[in-house]
Amino acid sequence: MFSSVFKKIAVLSAASSLALLAACGSSQEQAGPAAVTLLTHDSFVVSEALVAQLKKETGITLKITTAGDAGAMLAGAVLAAGSPSADVMFGVDNTLLAKATNADVFSAYTSKNLDLVSPALKTDTGNGVVTPIDYGDVCINIDDAWFRKRNVAVPTSIDQLTQPAYKDLLVVQDPATSSPGLAFMLATQAKFGDQWLSYWKQLEANGVQVSGSWTDAYESAFSASGGTRPLVVSYATSPPAEIVYAANPKPKKPSTSVLTDGCYRQIEFAGVLRGTQNEGAAQQVVDWLLSPAVQADLPLSMFVFPARANTPLPDVFTKFATKIPNPLQLPATVVDANLKTWLNQWDEVMNR
Amino acid sequence: MWVFPALFLCIALGLPLAGVLRNSLSDISAVDFSPQFGIAVTAGGQALISTIGALLIGLPIAGILATYRFRGRGFVQALVTVPFVLPTVVIALAFRELFGSLLSPGLALVVIAHIYINLAVVVRIVGATWQQLDPRMVVAARSLGASPWRAFLTVTLPQLKAVLASAASIVFVFCFTSLGVVLVLGNGGTRTLETQILRQTSLLLDFPTAAITALLQLIVVSIALLLGARASMNATQNARNLRFTRLSVIRGIRARTYVFLVAIAACIFVILPLISLASGSLRDSHGWTLQWWQSLTELDAGTTRLGSPLTAVVTSVKYAVITGFIAGVIGVLAAMSVLSHRLGRAILVIALAPLGISAATLGLGFMLAYGRPPLDLRGADLLIPLAHSIVAVPLVIAVVLPTLRSTDQRFAVAASSLGARPTRAFFTAYGPILRIVAFAAAGLAACVSLGEFGAASFLARSSSPTTPVQIVKLLQRPGDQSFGVACALAVILVLITLTLVAAIDALSRKRWVKV
Repeated sequence: MFSSVFKKIAVLSAASSLALLAACGSSQEQAGPAAVTLLTHDSFVVSEALVAQLKKETGITLKITTAGDAGAMLAGAVLAAGSPSADVMFGVDNTLLAKATNADVFSAYTSKNLDLVSPALKTDTGNGVVTPIDYGDVCINIDDAWFRKRNVAVPTSIDQLTQPAYKDLLVVQDPATSSPGLAFMLATQAKFGDQWLSYWKQLEANGVQVSGSWTDAYESAFSASGGTRPLVVSYATSPPAEIVYAANPKPKKPSTSVLTDGCYRQIEFAGVLRGTQNEGAAQQVVDWLLSPAVQADLPLSMFVFPARANTPLPDVFTKFATKIPNPLQLPATVVDANLKTWLNQWDEVMNR
Repeated sequence: MWVFPALFLCIALGLPLAGVLRNSLSDISAVDFSPQFGIAVTAGGQALISTIGALLIGLPIAGILATYRFRGRGFVQALVTVPFVLPTVVIALAFRELFGSLLSPGLALVVIAHIYINLAVVVRIVGATWQQLDPRMVVAARSLGASPWRAFLTVTLPQLKAVLASAASIVFVFCFTSLGVVLVLGNGGTRTLETQILRQTSLLLDFPTAAITALLQLIVVSIALLLGARASMNATQNARNLRFTRLSVIRGIRARTYVFLVAIAACIFVILPLISLASGSLRDSHGWTLQWWQSLTELDAGTTRLGSPLTAVVTSVKYAVITGFIAGVIGVLAAMSVLSHRLGRAILVIALAPLGISAATLGLGFMLAYGRPPLDLRGADLLIPLAHSIVAVPLVIAVVLPTLRSTDQRFAVAASSLGARPTRAFFTAYGPILRIVAFAAAGLAACVSLGEFGAASFLARSSSPTTPVQIVKLLQRPGDQSFGVACALAVILVLITLTLVAAIDALSRKRWVKV
């Protein structure tokens, strides 16, 4: 009787190995020349209909693989540079771009429609290896109701956040573990230059709270989500997202707004991975990401602005998304050269 | 017998790790060690406190579940497993809601959350052995005048030494390598090596330092596991007389009160944070609502574009079943070979090694090894369960091994002397107990799969995310809807776990009675 159990185990193990082999076989069958794998971060979203349309128009079957957040995705791509696990990568931003180009992750290609992209976004394409697809700004978000109720003036520049009136009101993210946290740290670096550390010392003295993640800062600590702090580092598009993802009936306008000073510009790029077997089809996918249909889909999918100029924006964006007049930005090479030092200095100042 | 687990570990673990190491250990000279050591020490202290806490709270619960038959026993047993299954981010959020104004992020919150999560490890692993202790020995001690407390200290505890060591080492390892909890509930003083690895791999792309940090973590973890294994080997030598017995009926008002109080306390401890999730799924900014639950099937292309939440649930259940099977079979075979092969201890340490390897490293390795030709498994549904199995196998072994070890070997000797071949003899001795314990182990593996986030977030295709991945995605966006639906999904995850665990427990009990 017990040996029959053992037989069963043996049979089942054999069956599962067979299933494994069969799975290998079938996935290789799919990987014909018309199949392109898009490697991206886990915030990437695109409408199914657009993927179907790509298939219809070009014959390309698009497979989308997520690989953690943008940094983790890039880490995988850098380790596999030259023999990539995918054909196209989307989601490297201007903070990490130099890491990607230093590791020679991409092959030379920018979309044939690059001239339709707003000039400010294409100052750095890693010497012709990536195409800007979308952009957004990391800004401090304000819970307006909180300030109204207490009759406190809403801050208009990040310099004011060190004043007693704004004591214990701000929550930021640890730049070492959170992408908006990193962007805000870079914003202070870009704005204050050599004085950036003394700014952080003053923030610390004024009771800034540091969260490990955006989720904790925004969903737990931010007063608009039930927390105690009315100022949080988030995105310029968070207010329209508040409307789109609000409970029914949807509010007429968002209860949060954006501090337009001290915003950091994030640009997301796509590029063909060096070593792909599908160079041509991969290039077509980069073009597709910059096509009018996909560009128009981006705002409501990922709450970013399309890189292609004159792309029509959805109502909720034209009404409630704040256009930031002069966003801060640092050259990718400068960020790459100094990031480790800056993070360590920030650590020391913040007693972490 | 040892060929299957060995082969599995080589393929599923060795290959991906070799890939990561080969690609990262190119330039070690520039690595600065000193900050890593400091963090290892503070993380070690935190893990020690958490482990002691988990044992102190877990033991009474394991005790009543293992010795008494009472109404609601199955429910309590299933309930304490739930925290282990929830994505750490969700637990951390629940605790933030619960203690938001009382405790600020720091050591206390991290320790409480770790105790909460690892309660299941203590109750499950210790319980599996405790259930098989002969209750007549306690009865004998009591009838000779020993108090319940004294009977526990002199009769029960010595017999549990082995499994306690095993459970403690595993809890320690989990707390030492913790990531999600530390990120949300910790502060600068509670960093772990894992948060350093995250920073080095996915922000600085400093692979040599990351590899060294990972290695340091692996060393500490191996030492902890070895100590656990040694203590359990030594302790089992004098406790060889375990046979599974039936649960006893509670007699006497004091015992009744004790069981009642422990069970109620356990339920409250587990349920309290879950209540904030449940209320989150039933509220919006206007007040109470059912809309998040009603929208679970619809939120498809419309506003979330993440795929319907219920699809994620189906995906998760599918992976959980496959993982339960793979990890159950592999883990049981591995435990058997540890016991019967002369290189047992070496096999044991290798088989437990995945505990010390960060999910992020594992995910990265899987992507490198199986994410591209010639072996492109990403399209197949097996990659995630495979990664989950790697994470789950050590737990399966931890449940199965102490039980097998303390089973009376004389049955095997007797069977051999009666002419049975070695396999036959082994199954004659261990077969009955294996079947019970294998079910428990497979259930635990399925739970691991249900709640796993780290590796899955590396490997999931965006069209079919697992439930934890979906929850975290939702929590990464603003808006009432994101939070409400994420809470609803978390509640569903809780309910599935309860059902799954209760079903498996019931199944194993049924088999038990037949034997």
